[in-house]
Amino acid sequence: MTSRPLRTRVNGTAVERTVPDERILLDLLREDLRLTGTKRGCDLGTCGCCTVLLDGRPTLSCLTLARSAEGREVTTIEGVTPAEGLHPVQRSFVEHGATQCGFCTPGFVLTSVALLRDHPHPDREEVARAISGNLCRCTGYTKIIEAVLAVNGGKPRGD
Amino acid sequence: MHLDPFELHEPTTVEEALELAGSLSGKFDYLAGGTDLLPNYKMHINLRPHLISLERVSELRGVSADRIGAMTRLAELEEHREFGAAYPGVAEAVREVATPLVRASGTVGGNLLLETRCFFFNQTYPWRQSLGFCLKADGDRCHVVPQKERCYATFSGDLAPALAAVEAEVEVAGPSGRRRMPVEHLYNAAGDGILRLSLVPGEIVVAVHFPAHARRARAAYSKLRVRPSFDFPELGVAAAVWGAEESPEKVRLAIGGLETYPRRFDADTDPLAGAALTDAKVRTVAEAVTRRVRPVHNTFLPPDYRRRMTEVFVRRTLTRARSPSGSRAA
Repeated sequence: MTSRPLRTRVNGTAVERTVPDERILLDLLREDLRLTGTKRGCDLGTCGCCTVLLDGRPTLSCLTLARSAEGREVTTIEGVTPAEGLHPVQRSFVEHGATQCGFCTPGFVLTSVALLRDHPHPDREEVARAISGNLCRCTGYTKIIEAVLAVNGGKPRGD
Repeated sequence: MHLDPFELHEPTTVEEALELAGSLSGKFDYLAGGTDLLPNYKMHINLRPHLISLERVSELRGVSADRIGAMTRLAELEEHREFGAAYPGVAEAVREVATPLVRASGTVGGNLLLETRCFFFNQTYPWRQSLGFCLKADGDRCHVVPQKERCYATFSGDLAPALAAVEAEVEVAGPSGRRRMPVEHLYNAAGDGILRLSLVPGEIVVAVHFPAHARRARAAYSKLRVRPSFDFPELGVAAAVWGAEESPEKVRLAIGGLETYPRRFDADTDPLAGAALTDAKVRTVAEAVTRRVRPVHNTFLPPDYRRRMTEVFVRRTLTRARSPSGSRAA
């Protein structure tokens, strides 16, 4: 087993760890840093539960080696949640009943945060496309799309 | 699922990567975006003790008017407006790959070199063990076409047919230098899901190059799959048409998702040059191509359905590509 030092930033904090080469970013976050908001779902890139932002871009942490985070910025669901209260996307999810069991929610929230940063007023089709890599096994997509559309004061369209 | 230990190498130049490959002969895999290789590693499929990551090799990056670096992320290409306008058929294929999350990591080179897929191969170790390992990993027989000589795993990349249709080329670097070849020559036309590539051990795909005429093509790509997201192609049809609809100079058709390699059908499309591409001609070509393809039962949809859909998809895709407004406006 080969290990080497890794320097990265997680939720704004510098992190230095010695990690084995085969360490997956998801395991670094959940097991080494105890940031368990990032979920392990399929572990094969199909479900999107493990989504984090890597330099701002939604990324599957289950298929990313921890080494790939060297010198880069990782943002997890813990990083977008303010010390008090909720991020506007999280609040909208609550208001629209867009979480059922909640397991997929961190992934959906991070994907949506990135979408709204780049496209503040997406239409329904753009939201559906943006979240098409995140699976909700409770199949609550309608509420999720409505929640994302409503974040910047938009009204759900195309009903 | 945890990855078994391996040693990761992170070269910064193609030459350094080739040198590493030479010293680790046979005991390594190249790692690009990881979205295909790492799931296979998690399922303990064909593990190697060394991975050579190409992430830090800067020569493999970048998109220009006539070149895409092999390590270009699919999402980067998708967001590149000029690229999409210049090569609409390829852009359609890029948008159809997997999901936005997979495209954020997945690369152009990785999609071209995607491991072939099969029901009996893309499974966990205990699953494969319980049935008896197959030719492609750990075993000596094929469960799809019962025999012991040949693997029928399906080539499931979306980009290769789209690139082959517009006559794009790949540049590869290897122990004995660099060479360029048409995209379709990357693959072994003898039709073996294991010996699927024409590359020699250690060779790296550096870039995709577009000849000047590639951007004059009207091109389209259509993909058959069960869900409109994530799924690999059960059939992927790419068409390109040069010249006026009444008298095309050239027509190209390439198909993936059906056999062990993406195939072009020049013998069927060459006679289409020089005379109006009528509905009747499109239908004739679609029927001829459908008679040639040989899907087997190793993906989600039954092979007979995929064959019948080949006719439908060839017809639709050629019709889309022949029209002057066609996919160029898309």
